[in-house]
Amino acid sequence: MRYLKTSEAAALLNVSPNTLRAWERRFGFPKPQRSPGRHRLFTHGEVASLRDALQEGLSISSAVSRAREGLATDTNSLIGALVSYEAERADAAMESALALRSLERSVEEVLLPSLEEIVGRQTVDSAAWAFAAHWGADWLRRATRLAPAPVRPVSIVLGDASRDELDLDCCFIRALELFCVRAGANVLSLSVRGVVGISDAVAVHRPNLVVIAGGHLGDDAVARWAYAVRLAAGAMPVAVYRRGPQRARMRTTGTSVLPSGASEAQQRLLELVEADQGGRSTRVTMESPYGIQTGRRTASM
Amino acid sequence: MTVSGRIVSRGALALVPRSTEEVRPTIWFCGHCGASPPLPGPPATNARVCRTCGLGLLLETVADAAPEAGGAFLVLDRSLSVCAVSSGAERLLATPETEAINRHVTELLVSAESEVSGPSNLAAAVSHAARGDEELRTAFVRPANLFGVRMRVRIVCCGPPQAALLVFDPPARN
Repeated sequence: MRYLKTSEAAALLNVSPNTLRAWERRFGFPKPQRSPGRHRLFTHGEVASLRDALQEGLSISSAVSRAREGLATDTNSLIGALVSYEAERADAAMESALALRSLERSVEEVLLPSLEEIVGRQTVDSAAWAFAAHWGADWLRRATRLAPAPVRPVSIVLGDASRDELDLDCCFIRALELFCVRAGANVLSLSVRGVVGISDAVAVHRPNLVVIAGGHLGDDAVARWAYAVRLAAGAMPVAVYRRGPQRARMRTTGTSVLPSGASEAQQRLLELVEADQGGRSTRVTMESPYGIQTGRRTASM
Repeated sequence: MTVSGRIVSRGALALVPRSTEEVRPTIWFCGHCGASPPLPGPPATNARVCRTCGLGLLLETVADAAPEAGGAFLVLDRSLSVCAVSSGAERLLATPETEAINRHVTELLVSAESEVSGPSNLAAAVSHAARGDEELRTAFVRPANLFGVRMRVRIVCCGPPQAALLVFDPPARN
């Protein structure tokens, strides 16, 4: 996909960079991503569709609305393909979404909303949802396999507490896994049902953080799995994802609750790991001269 | 022109009969702040964004109906959907443009003269203007959720593309 810097996007739209930033504040469109240096990166597709809409529009608002509608057609075509049981057409819909957006935004703005729409319309026990859920999980797994090798010293164990592939949470968990892998983290995804031998898995993976995701399995099963992980790996930060309505932070355990959006959750996870790693290095520097433990973990199992 | 060796005068092309109607002067204005562009004449098709506020597109309308800079006005299309709301109208109607866009005008404004029919009717006047009728019409309206208020609006065509412009007269002129 082609990305444009602010000045390039502004030149394409024949406006100043300040105007483009004002549009982003006022209309939320075009919505840029951020480069590693925190600079705005606009997708060419969004800027081009806005440029076309501006030439036929009566206001910036109506042009933005029209450009957004044009981008929403991807969601409609994906829903149409999935409820018609046409996997190839669904693949093509995602391909066209990827032509205009990053993979993360394609998943968050097209794939996951389409699946939510289908499960809302057709119920969980429908054949259409069974097809859509299988296709969605398969697409996300394929994208995860194609992601580049981990580059960050971050290792995450993801405990999957969803029911099965027909659980909508499963798709969100796969999306979170994909985003973490694409962010350079090493992710080991395991069902929380598998407790036996977890110490071997943890010894190989040596996680910095544990995520418990999905709301189907009860607290007993989850606690058993988390206890086994803690026994094997020691204390480490724990976060929960899509485990039902919970407080932002569980005061008694120090567990963090991640936002329900996969992209936001991935960013929060990396922040948690960085905070924990920063805390550790601070503790080491404070401990080493005197051999006295002064640091205190706040988010631990 | 030479025809068979003799010179004949060329007939004047008069395919369209001359009209006695005067050409009304037009001006360009920003569809958000109402300001006129610094340079006279039509802007380039791909450069219609207002250089003053950056939040509106430049539109053309007849000079005697054009809004003042900072004035309150709406732009509606032929289906009576709101296409643009000026910053003044945002304040007047307490509705941000982003929420008003694509809504039917009757969700924001209703006629304050229920007995009026014919071309003076608000919907009819807007439809005529949105079809390109340059005749200036006036109507009295009130916000859809407010009683006891009458605001006079001037209705005329604007564009491109063709649309209706509703300019709220300042209260002092009512």
